[in-house]
Parts: sequence; C-alpha cells; structure tokens
Amino acid sequence: MKHIVKRGQHTEAYDEKKLYASIYAACLSVREHPGSAEVIAAQVVKDVGVWLEKKHEVTSNDIRKQGHQRLQVINPDAAHIYLHHRVIW
Amino acid sequence: MHKVKHTRPAYFDYDLIVVGTGAGGGVAAHKASVAGKKVAVIEAEKLGGECPNYGCVPTKALLQAAETFKSASESERFGITATKVSFDYKKIKKWKDAVVARTGTEEGEAFYKSEGVDVIHGYGHFISPWTISVDGKRYNAKNFVIATGTKSVAPPIPGLADTGFITYREAIEFTSPPKSLFVIGGGAIGCEFAELFNTFGTQVQIADMADRLVALEDPEVGELLGALFTQKGIKVHTGVSITRVGKKGSQKVVQIEKDGKVQNIAVDEILVSAGKAPNTDLGLENAGVDYNRGGIITNDYMQTSNKHIYAAGDVVGPYRFTHTASYQSRVAAHNMFHRENKIKAQYYAIPRCVFTDPEIACVGYTEAQLKDKKIAYQVAAVPITVIGRANTSGVDSGFVKVIAGKYGTILGASIVSPRAGEMIHELTLAVQHHMSARQIAETVHAFPTWSEAVRVACQKLKSR
Repeated sequence: MKHIVKRGQHTEAYDEKKLYASIYAACLSVREHPGSAEVIAAQVVKDVGVWLEKKHEVTSNDIRKQGHQRLQVINPDAAHIYLHHRVIW
Repeated sequence: MHKVKHTRPAYFDYDLIVVGTGAGGGVAAHKASVAGKKVAVIEAEKLGGECPNYGCVPTKALLQAAETFKSASESERFGITATKVSFDYKKIKKWKDAVVARTGTEEGEAFYKSEGVDVIHGYGHFISPWTISVDGKRYNAKNFVIATGTKSVAPPIPGLADTGFITYREAIEFTSPPKSLFVIGGGAIGCEFAELFNTFGTQVQIADMADRLVALEDPEVGELLGALFTQKGIKVHTGVSITRVGKKGSQKVVQIEKDGKVQNIAVDEILVSAGKAPNTDLGLENAGVDYNRGGIITNDYMQTSNKHIYAAGDVVGPYRFTHTASYQSRVAAHNMFHRENKIKAQYYAIPRCVFTDPEIACVGYTEAQLKDKKIAYQVAAVPITVIGRANTSGVDSGFVKVIAGKYGTILGASIVSPRAGEMIHELTLAVQHHMSARQIAETVHAFPTWSEAVRVACQKLKSR
C-alpha cells in the first residue's frame, strides 16, 4: 500500500479519490465541461498512479506537484487553480 | 506550492547517506567510512552504477574485441597471414560480461559491508531534509550525497516511440550484431557504437543535427572522424534533422531532411544516443534541494541549496564522465567533514575521451570557447605522421593540436591518434598546473612514442 506523509509527519493511505476530486473541482472552476473534467481527472489519477508505482511513501506535496505537472499539460488554467487554491469550494 | 517547516531531528541513524552507488556516490561513501563515520548507501539498480554495468566498462570491452578483430583482419600488410579471421559475437558478449563481473560490482555489497557501510536496496524518496524513505522504511542522516546519475532520453521525433528503438543499455546486450543500424546522435556514445558495429560488419549510418560529429570539440576533430568513418563505410549524415520514424515490414525507416531534401533510410535497428536527463525524481522539493532541467544545482563545494545535502556525478554535471563524478564525490566528502578547510571543484582540466579508432582525447578550452571569452591564444598542430611511431605502426591519420595563451601557457588540446586517451594526460597536467609549452617542449620524450607528437606541437608555440 502507498502511504502519504502528511505535514505533521504522520502517514495515511494514498486515496486516489481525493486526488480525483480536487482535479475535478479545479477543472470545473475554470468552466471545463463536467464530462471533460471527469476524463481529465481520471487521466491525471492514472498518470500519478504510474509515477507512484515504484514509491512506497511520498508526501502530500509530492502528490500535489505531480498532479499539477500532469494537469498543466492538459489544462494550464485548471492547473494554476489546483496548485494555488487549497479549498476551491 | 505550500512550504512545510521541518524540524532537525535530535538523533541521526547515520552521519552520511549516499543515494546512488556509482562513481559520484561510491567515493564519498568510502571516504566517509574510512574517516570513521557511520554510512549507508541506497541503490535502486545494480551496485556500481552506470559506468561498470552499462557504460564505459562494457563498451570498452566490446571495443577491445573489435580492435583485436580488426588487427587480425588487417595483419596481411605486416606480412602476417591470418586466414579465415572470424568472430563469434556470443563469445564476445561473454567476454564483455566477464569484464563487467571483474569490476567487482557483483561483490560490491560484500565490499561495502567489509567497510562497515550499510547497503539499502530500493528507490529513495526524501520525506524531509533529513529523512529519506526506502520501501516504506525511513532513515535519517546528518549529511546526504545525491548521486543518482542520468537516464537516456529520446528526442521528440514523430513515430520514434511507436516504432521502437534501443539505447546503449540494449546495444551492449546484443548476441549478434544487427545487419544495419541507424545511430541518432553523433556524440561520444553514438560514435563508439558506430565504430563497434561497423567493425563487426553492420551497415552503420550515423546522424547529427550539428555540422560535424563530436560537435562540442574543435572542428578538426569531428571533421577528421567523419572522414575516417566514411572511409570505413559508415554513412555520416551531419547537419540533418530527423523528421519522422516509421515501420516498413520488419524494417524501421528513418526520414532525414537536409537543405529541403528528404531521404528515407530503412534499417534493422535504431540506436538513440542523443542526450541524457538527470534522475531528480526523489522528492528533492521535500529536502529543499533546488534543481532544473540540467540537474541538481550545487555551489563550488558540491553543496546543494540545502547545505547538509551534497550532490555529485552526472546528476550535477557539467561533464558526465566517471572521472568527474569521482572527483566531485571526493570534493563533497572532503568538504562535508573538513568545513574549516573546504576545497572547490574546478573543471578547467578535465580530459574528454572518445574511444573510436583512432582515439580522440581533448582537454581544457576549445578555440570556440576562447573566442567567446575573448582570450588571446595561439595554436600549433602537427599531423601524427611526423613522428617515428606513426611510421612503425603504419598509421597515417591523426594529429595533435595544442592551444596556448599569448605567452605560451597551455590552455587546451585536442588529439586524434592511437592511444590519444593516454597521451592527453601530459597536456591535462600542463593545463591543470598552468605550465608553458616551452616546459613540455624541453622535456625529453622517448623515441618512438605517440607522445612525441605532443612535444613537437608544443615546440611550435611561442612560449616564455
């Protein structure tokens, strides 16, 4: 199981649904079509999953950076929102 | 990105953790353990890193086999009849494997253990500036050396990834040479493989965007190598762009374009040797280590942006040689434990070799670099044929070129000659210690040796 090291150095299991939700929300906030936002979020989650394959423990900042890098290629505006707004709604 | 504040641990598992066991990491680990420090190394692949397992050592073993085959095949001109000279490439690969095994990488773990160094296998990922996680287990250390090396990168050529290609890592594992090979990239690696496979009968073509091979060196070097390659039957395409790669039946087709003319070349295999990218995916942000596309950024003391974390080797640059990696690793280890007496890494006298036939070796500044820096210089070059050894060995191609400052201080040199890799060290010493051309010219050189050409070239320079 992949673990995410949080700011207080405690860990929790990697939950790809969290990443999916935040990417999806970032896409919607830049008026991406909901269907398209779903496709983008799924793609980003898949790519980050590949990156995570050889890693056992990463930080939440790592996940944020990887998510941003991949989203940047697909929708730069959404990527900006994703990186700089921790709470979108 | 949100910055996380980390607290320095009160207790450390190790004095030093080295990430990567190649030349950039191994030397620092050894020096620290000799100094009585508690050390661990982390390795994701084979111990020893790139050079002994996939790089310099296996390629030089294969090139030695090629040289031997060529000598036997061409022995007739020395009055020696060697009939039916042939090769068994499977046995050549076995020879290469034996050479790699002899480097000691297989016993590397035992060696480290004998030195009291802990070996941790797996991918390291920084969790904080003092903590690295490997397979879910965390280790912390007072100091780190990052020496994670580089990986091959393929240029963004349409169709290349879908068509398929090999890199040097696959090329050293062949059990028979390909019938035809297209080499993308005319740098050191590309030229050495072109030489190797051409010797064993492969129809080789080599291409580079630059107007000559080994384009970072002085023009004469690449121009002569290109001419010699052409003489040997290697097709050299310089100043070309590769516009597309595709498949046609069982063959791969490379489309090249030069001056608006398009040419399609069908080959069995494509070897990509057009660049490398640093391995920086190890949570460097969590460690507060700055990096860019070129690699990890260090100061002259090999310290990264986080002062207790050092970096060395290919992941840093500027040169990606085993000898620069071990040099940087030595500098890093010294500075880590001798903070009152720190030394700076300097790169003005790094020898650069290409093991073709004849060999290429360069050191110091090139003419282009001196022009850029607006430094006045003088040049002397002599063909290798002026010396007795070229006559006795039947060699008719090559030269020694020496660049010196206005008053004769040696600034750089280029050699194309048999044993150039050995000859360059006299000039490396001269560049390192700011010696004059006169000092080399007045030094007696043994007759008949290749190094005599160095003395003759230096004699032609004006020098105090």
